[in-house]
Amino acid sequence: MKKADKLTWWERYLTNEIGIEFKACLYFFAVLFFYCVYRIINGIFDASILHMTEMIFTCYIIGYIQVFIFGNFDEADQLRVREYLGIVICTGLYCLVSFWGKWFNREVFVTLIFAGYILVTYICVFLIYRSKRRIDDKKLNEELRLFQTEHRKKE
Amino acid sequence: MKVDIQKITEGDESVVIRYREGNSVISRIIGILQSEGNKLWGKIDDQNVCVSFDEILYLESVDDKVFACTKDKVLRIDGSLNSFMLESDDECFFRCSKSMVLNVNRVVSLRSLSSNRIDATMEGGEHIIISRRYASEFRKLLKGGR
Repeated sequence: MKKADKLTWWERYLTNEIGIEFKACLYFFAVLFFYCVYRIINGIFDASILHMTEMIFTCYIIGYIQVFIFGNFDEADQLRVREYLGIVICTGLYCLVSFWGKWFNREVFVTLIFAGYILVTYICVFLIYRSKRRIDDKKLNEELRLFQTEHRKKE
Repeated sequence: MKVDIQKITEGDESVVIRYREGNSVISRIIGILQSEGNKLWGKIDDQNVCVSFDEILYLESVDDKVFACTKDKVLRIDGSLNSFMLESDDECFFRCSKSMVLNVNRVVSLRSLSSNRIDATMEGGEHIIISRRYASEFRKLLKGGR
């Protein structure tokens, strides 16, 4: 491979950073959706900018924890102990920050439902990535067969 | 080794090889002259062995030594993975990581992994991981765009 094709540290950093920011946006919208539903149920039709700021920063920091400590569990090939531990700890962190930041007025019952919601979100994201890879498998194998057939024809 | 090259204007072209003991270099030269350009010479237990490129499943570099693996043989070959890639000049050989070259024609199936890596299952059942750095080029190769 040519030297120009090698990834520089900056490109490697940027790849990680973009991945984490994408993750932060994804989970921010998930958390925001729950928050908005909670507010609407309680008859409040506006959202606090302070809460939203806390949410986006929390998602961003937890994104780093997900990627660098727990092996990017939502994009993992399979869920093992480390990944399950990551899911539980990150869910716990979301709950702690939501409790501290009074996103749900420190209601324990709502915080527990929020924990369940985050767990389900993590599992759903994992399943979505897995099905995306399965579709990619099919595409890759089709292309492989085509390549092999064409290459044999040339010979 | 003394190399004597003569340009002739008349008569048949010929090459004479004089050697005391056969080695992989001599075998390779003979192979090329006998139009066996698509064959690879290597050693198994100090014995010179020849395999066709088509038989090779993958090549692996371990501690600066390069090994070519077929279904039933592992040959130690001279040179590096880069020199093999230059020598073979065949698009079915793909550099899939720093230390490996795989024969795409001998891949049974592919599996997409996380972080844009690809798991290639070879005919012998071995799993070779195509790293993220090489995966996009591999996809291009399959699409015929390399």
